[in-house]
Amino acid sequence: MLSYLIFTLTLCGIYALLALSLNLIWGGVGLVNLGLAGFFAVGAYASAITTGAGAPVIIGWGAALVVGAAVGLIVTFATLRLRDDYLAIVTLGFAEVIRLVALNERWLTNGSDGLSGIKAPLKAELGLQGFSLFYLGLVTLVVLVVWALLSRLDLSPYGRAMKAIREDQQLASFAGKRVLRFKLQAFAVSAAIAALSGALYAHFQSYVSPDHFQPLITIYIFLAVTAGGVGRPSGAVFGAYLVVIFLEATRFATEWVPGLQPVQIAAMREMMIGLALILVLHLKPQGIMPERIPKAPEPAAP
Amino acid sequence: MTELTASRRQVLAGATALAGSAAFPCFAFAQGAPIRIGTLTPLTGAGGPYGPVMVKAVKAVIDEVNAAGGVNGRKVELISEDDQTNPEAGVRAARKLIDIDKVSAILGTWASSVTTAVAPLCWESKTFLCTTSGADSITALPHQGYLIRTQPTTTLQGKKFGEFAIEQKAKRVFFLSPQTPFAKSQFDNITMAVKAAGGETASLIYDDKKPAYRTEIDEVLRFKPDAIVFGGYTPDTAVMLKDLYRADFKGTKIAFGYSVNQKLVESVPAEVVDKTFMISPSPAEGSKAYDRLVKMIGVAAPDPYTTQIYDHINLVLMAIAMAGDSSGAAIKDAIRKVSQAPGGARIDNAIDGIKAIAAKQAVDYDGASGPCDFTEIGDISDSKFRYEQVQGGKIVLVKIG
Repeated sequence: MLSYLIFTLTLCGIYALLALSLNLIWGGVGLVNLGLAGFFAVGAYASAITTGAGAPVIIGWGAALVVGAAVGLIVTFATLRLRDDYLAIVTLGFAEVIRLVALNERWLTNGSDGLSGIKAPLKAELGLQGFSLFYLGLVTLVVLVVWALLSRLDLSPYGRAMKAIREDQQLASFAGKRVLRFKLQAFAVSAAIAALSGALYAHFQSYVSPDHFQPLITIYIFLAVTAGGVGRPSGAVFGAYLVVIFLEATRFATEWVPGLQPVQIAAMREMMIGLALILVLHLKPQGIMPERIPKAPEPAAP
Repeated sequence: MTELTASRRQVLAGATALAGSAAFPCFAFAQGAPIRIGTLTPLTGAGGPYGPVMVKAVKAVIDEVNAAGGVNGRKVELISEDDQTNPEAGVRAARKLIDIDKVSAILGTWASSVTTAVAPLCWESKTFLCTTSGADSITALPHQGYLIRTQPTTTLQGKKFGEFAIEQKAKRVFFLSPQTPFAKSQFDNITMAVKAAGGETASLIYDDKKPAYRTEIDEVLRFKPDAIVFGGYTPDTAVMLKDLYRADFKGTKIAFGYSVNQKLVESVPAEVVDKTFMISPSPAEGSKAYDRLVKMIGVAAPDPYTTQIYDHINLVLMAIAMAGDSSGAAIKDAIRKVSQAPGGARIDNAIDGIKAIAAKQAVDYDGASGPCDFTEIGDISDSKFRYEQVQGGKIVLVKIG
């Protein structure tokens, strides 16, 4: 029971990082990134390959951040002229490209067999239970740090400029904000956070394969951010914990429905997840923790 | 008003009872507590067509064994989870089976990626894992004996394809496949078999989502093959066969039994698919275990995965009876004593097996998927293959061997 809780909470943390990443780019500058699973994969593979070549785990995580940010920059440059739906479709395609590269470049990624036996830091020293606790602590700490930094960012002039771009790009650039630079920076940071999340996942599970990075995970994260509240880091984190706990809770809830075949139970779980999204959007369209927009400061007395 | 309070209290009491009973399995470890077996099959996602029948087979065996008095006087309980044909979801489900339900064994993981992701959790927690995945790399994992699989490896399958092509007097064999976990090893082993007989091979990996394959077919035909082996799934193989027919290819066509199936044969014009050979790991059709399974689940021709999971549950229950203990470690140590004891009684179901074990007899299980004998690392040591051919719009059995 305890190890299951620890596992679920660790996964919550990894999802929370992805949600923070999405919240920065979607809630911040208003770019819809459906390629989240792609950045998640980039980070996971970057760290798995680096540590597989003999580097320590911490270097692997560093590599994930750098490669993630670099790929983020490439994607933004490739999509400079796109907004809204068009950007969303291209990012979805990007995630698929990453998955296909991972599937076909066997020399680098071992193809569809995936990379197994990825180093789990300190597992030999701490033992099974000790490692799970240590990793839960580590992931939670990373979530807290990223959450604190992004919350701070939201209150800063930089964060306000980002949200101005989200609301009206033309107006923001008219007001002298360099829209392109903001977008590039935000996308790179967001991609780096998603990649870090992927790296943490890879070393937690010790195995990654192209099958891990299907669009399903992106959908869960969108669900998390929508439920939590777009544009507020606390909302994203809360939403991610809520989604993972809800996903797991549906397992136990369906056990109480009598007379169903296992396949019907599986379908019912998916229906419950869909229903939850509809209910949240219907009852709380702003999310459970809506964005707080600070009041404009009183103009100084003349 | 009072009525309202009362009903709220009732609701609260009910909720507490629910919460209490949800927590109960964690410390239900008294003598005679049920043996818990988990299935982790694909009920949704790409493996969705297979998983439901697989669970049905396991459920049928467990019901039958429980009706006959259980194993060592203990009832057997089935917990079924869905791996969504996705390793991430599969790991979450496996954690629940291992940590909450404390199952002795997990049966029926199907996709190779799911099996590879779940296997470390199993050997770390000393839970036994039975799988139907074919990727060679799985039994090479450091699983310490906590894993067996009933699906022949791709090495073995590739060899059979190559040998069959040679039997059909082909000298130049072309392998045409989308990127799959087994494409490379399949081609390497076909090549080995064909080269041994002095032939030549070449291969092409294509994208399985394309609507037409004219360019691919041109490339294939430049090689002037006498035989083409298809490594794909039903939809892409259908398109490939049509384009090949248009290009007027007259040589031998060989495909997997799961891709050129009844559905494909019905969906394309008869001449497109005519004379195509199909090879698939054969369930032990006609064996006692197979006939029992057909009767039990009421499916006329169960797919290979269902026959395999039927063997998993029978083997695991007999291993528990043999060891007198339901821990994963006990199953690991006892499994080969029931699957292949030298000179053991030929047994085809768990009930007879448990009786034989109680009578201190040695047991050698012969299952619905084959003889079920395992090597040191958990692969099956022998498997039969089924060779079929499409003749005039019908699938005809050529041979089993």
